[in-house]
Formats: sequence, C-alpha cells, structure tokens
Amino acid sequence: MAIIEVSGLVKRYGGVAALDGVSFSVPEGEIFGVLGPNGAGKTTAVECTAGLRRADAGRIRVLGLDPVADARRLRRSIGVQLQQAQLPENIKVWEALDLYASFYERPRDWRGLLAEWGLAHRRDARFGGLSGGERQRLFIALALVGDPKVAFLDELTTGLDPQARRDTWDLIRRVRDGGVTVVLVSHFMDEVEELCDRVAVLDRGRVVAVDTPTGLIDGAGGGHRVRFRPLTPLDDALLTALPEVIAVSRDGDQVTVTGTGDVATAVTGALARGHVLVADLRIDRRTLDDAFTALTGRSFQP
Amino acid sequence: MPISSGTLPASVVKLTAVEAKLLAREPGSFFAVVIPLFILVIFGFSLTPGDAVLLPTTLAIGVGLVGLYLVPTTLATYRERGILRRLAATPLRPEALLAVQLLLQLGLAVLGCGLLPVAVGALLGAAVPRPGLVPWAVAVFLLGAVAMFAIGLVIAAVAANGRSANGIGVLLYFPLAYLAGLMQPRHLMPEALAQAGEFTPLGAFVRSLRDLWAGDAPHPVHLGIMAAYAALAGLAAAKSFRWE
Repeated sequence: MAIIEVSGLVKRYGGVAALDGVSFSVPEGEIFGVLGPNGAGKTTAVECTAGLRRADAGRIRVLGLDPVADARRLRRSIGVQLQQAQLPENIKVWEALDLYASFYERPRDWRGLLAEWGLAHRRDARFGGLSGGERQRLFIALALVGDPKVAFLDELTTGLDPQARRDTWDLIRRVRDGGVTVVLVSHFMDEVEELCDRVAVLDRGRVVAVDTPTGLIDGAGGGHRVRFRPLTPLDDALLTALPEVIAVSRDGDQVTVTGTGDVATAVTGALARGHVLVADLRIDRRTLDDAFTALTGRSFQP
Repeated sequence: MPISSGTLPASVVKLTAVEAKLLAREPGSFFAVVIPLFILVIFGFSLTPGDAVLLPTTLAIGVGLVGLYLVPTTLATYRERGILRRLAATPLRPEALLAVQLLLQLGLAVLGCGLLPVAVGALLGAAVPRPGLVPWAVAVFLLGAVAMFAIGLVIAAVAANGRSANGIGVLLYFPLAYLAGLMQPRHLMPEALAQAGEFTPLGAFVRSLRDLWAGDAPHPVHLGIMAAYAALAGLAAAKSFRWE
C-alpha cells in the first residue's frame, strides 16, 4: 500500500515553476530516493510532501493525510531532517534530543538513539562544538526521536567522511527494517544506488523516471560493457547466446560485449567454460550517472 | 493560532526550561543586565540624595537594550539558522518558541531592572516611587517593555539575519536613547529634539518613570504614546514576520 501519494504537484516561485507536475508514490517500508542535480526541485518536492510548503497545485497524501489540511496530525507521525536547519550554538546534544522527544506523544528513548548514532560520548557537548558528521547524526536522531512512520531525510550524508557515510547507510537500512518508510533526497549517485529501493529522478521540476536503481541503469540502454582481447580463437555465438548479452562487436583484436544486468559475470563465466583465454579484460559498469544522461540528454552535475 | 495540542503543555514547559538555559549561556543577556548596573554604579557616586533621574534613566537603558538588541538578534538568529523552520516540522509550532522567548526576555528585563533599585538602595538613598504609585510603576514598566519589544520584533521581522538585526538594533538604540534624554540631561539638549523625544517610545517611557520618581502619576499622553507604539509596531511585526 502506498504510504505517500503525490500527483500533479506544481510549485512556482515568482512565476518560475520549481515543480511542474511532479507525481510519485511510495509504498510502505521502502527507502525511496529523490535524485537530481541542484535546482531540480528535490527539496521543494519533499518539503511540500512533508507539509513545510504549500503546493500551488496537485494532490498529496501522506499516511492518508493532506499535509496542509491535516498538518497537525501529520506532524505527529513524520520525522524530518532539513538541509539548512541548525540548532542554537549553545544547546547540548542531550538537551536537544530531550526537548524534541517532548514534542511527541510516544517518543523513542533518546538515550538509545544517542548510542545508536554514536553520540553517547558527546552527550554533554554543545551543538556549536560538534563536527560536521556529529551534527548530521544528531539531525538524523532528531528526525527519528518522535518514532515516525515516515522519515524525510534531505542530503543525509553531506559533510560525512566515506566511512561515516557507509555507517550511516547501514543505520538507515536498519531504520527501514524497523518499519519506517524513508524518503531520501540526494544528489549522490552512489548513495542512491546503494541505499534506495526505488528512485524518482527529477530534472528541472519534472520527474523523468521512477524505477529501481538497477531498472534505471538497465533502462538507460547500452547496458554495461565488457571489453577484452582474446588470446585463443573465440566464436561470437558463445556470447550472443547469453540472455544478458545485447551485442558483440570487434575492433581489430579487441572484443566489446554490451549487455544488461550482471553481464560481466555471465561473459567471464562463458569464456571460462569455453576455455577462451583473454587479456586486458575491462568491465565498464553503467551507473546512475549514465542513466541520468540518457534520461535528460545532459550530464549530471551536482 | 493555538500553539499547543494534546500532550504539548509539557513540551512548552521543557522548551521554556531549555530556552532559559540558552539565554543564560548567551553573553548578550549578561551585558543587557550588567550595562545598566554599571552605569548606575559609575554615576551613583556623584548622586545627590533623593535623586529622581538616574534610576529611571538606567531602567530605560535596561529595557531598551533587551528590547532593541537582544529580542531582534535572538529571533533573527533563530530564523537565520532554520530553527523556526525545523520546529514547524514538529507537533510544536514555532509560535510557541516566539512566545517563550518573549516571556523569557521580559523576565530578563525584569531581573536586570530589579537589580537596579536594590543596588541603589545599597549604595545611597536615591528616591523610589512612593508605595501608592507602585501599581503605576508596574504598568509603566510593562507598557514600556511591550513597546520596546514590539519594535524589536519589527527589527527581527525585517532583518536579513542575526547580524543585521544586531546592527539595526544598535543603530536604532543610540538615536532613541539620545532623544529620550538618556545620554545627555534634557536641559542641555536642543529644545526641539527634547520635545520630539517625548514622542519616541523610550522617551515616553523615561518621562513616565521620572514622573513616578518625582511622586506623580504618569502623564496619560506618555502612556498613550507607548501604547500606540506597542500596537502599531506589534501589528507591523505580526504582518511582516517571516518564519524562514
């Protein structure tokens, strides 16, 4: 069942359409990504959905509630981490969590959240003294302290180092596994590819595609490429017979195989079974970047 | 708009406690309390017994500093940092934070101003209003504070960020303090400016206080001027206040 339904969302700023007919729906229990370059309208779309902005047109239902008309009821069941929201410099970590917990009828135990998000040792630190990563983890903890059914997380891992990003992804998966639907705004392709069950790709205020990350990459056409130089004779039929393979082409002694899904494993497996020795094996995996370029005709510039 | 629902009064209590701690950690609050006290002590030594000018002057400085400097800077900073917007996403409304802040800052003004008569009593025998005028004194204090806070709210509404709110507050404070006669005795000021000063909120406030200290009830015109500023600035702030 869809926990979020958005259709025909329009939002204009001074006559310019930031959102121009955005539609998507999110089933319960998904990590749903909203991906796009800066200025694509991601944040606006999510803020309208979370009831922080009023859309000019369109229909939004979150948990069956209208974010404008039922704003007060909705705010009890959602958690939000905003991109440009800070806390007072002098508030202590525990004070912020304790305060935000008091806003909700059945909050989570904030001490548990503190430990879960690696902030237990920073309990008495002031917000102004936290590192970028600590601040980000505190914001996520604040978004979850009300025990929400839906969490909106905007640019979740901005300011985190690579290890902290991976740790955060693991925690977000745990949040979903705990039954919280997560809407994740991101301009990081790897993050979306790694974390999201499904993705809406936004460009210039429009949804250009909604699919799983794998579906988007495969749908972009061309698929992945495997290139190698055979050292022993190779019959192309060995490869074209594989369901993952789309085409095999030769350029001198160089062979290029294009295909979908896990074409690399299929090709290397077939070569091994056919006792074909190869050199200079290269695998070019298509990424969401390629999918974005294919969808919009432009390269993705965050 | 109601600011709470369901179980929320407990959260308003907690918000008040946290905001009070934050206010106490803010150096600006310390200065707003200490500067009037400092002026009082410096000038207190040359005071003639029964003086009815210094205490009203420092009281007005205290209320002016909180209203024109602390109120706008705090609120504009809260908006600039997205704190009001973040609260808008919770069951608590940002209006609650605004209300709690104004009450706490009023408390700070009361605390700061309360210290002044105590300090005076300890230092020397400067006059205080006679007991019959105490209700008037409370009314004048509240009216003056509300008028200054309302102007502070307008600054918070129009300022782009905390720093510019601070700048506007300071820029506005000095001419208002001068016109009110807080910087120079009234008889040394050009007559036109001294008269114009009576129509400023801080001027009406300090005149009312001086009347009280001289043993008279405040003049209705001065009360009316403060009420008018409170109403007009309050309305302007309510119309123009931005939450983000």
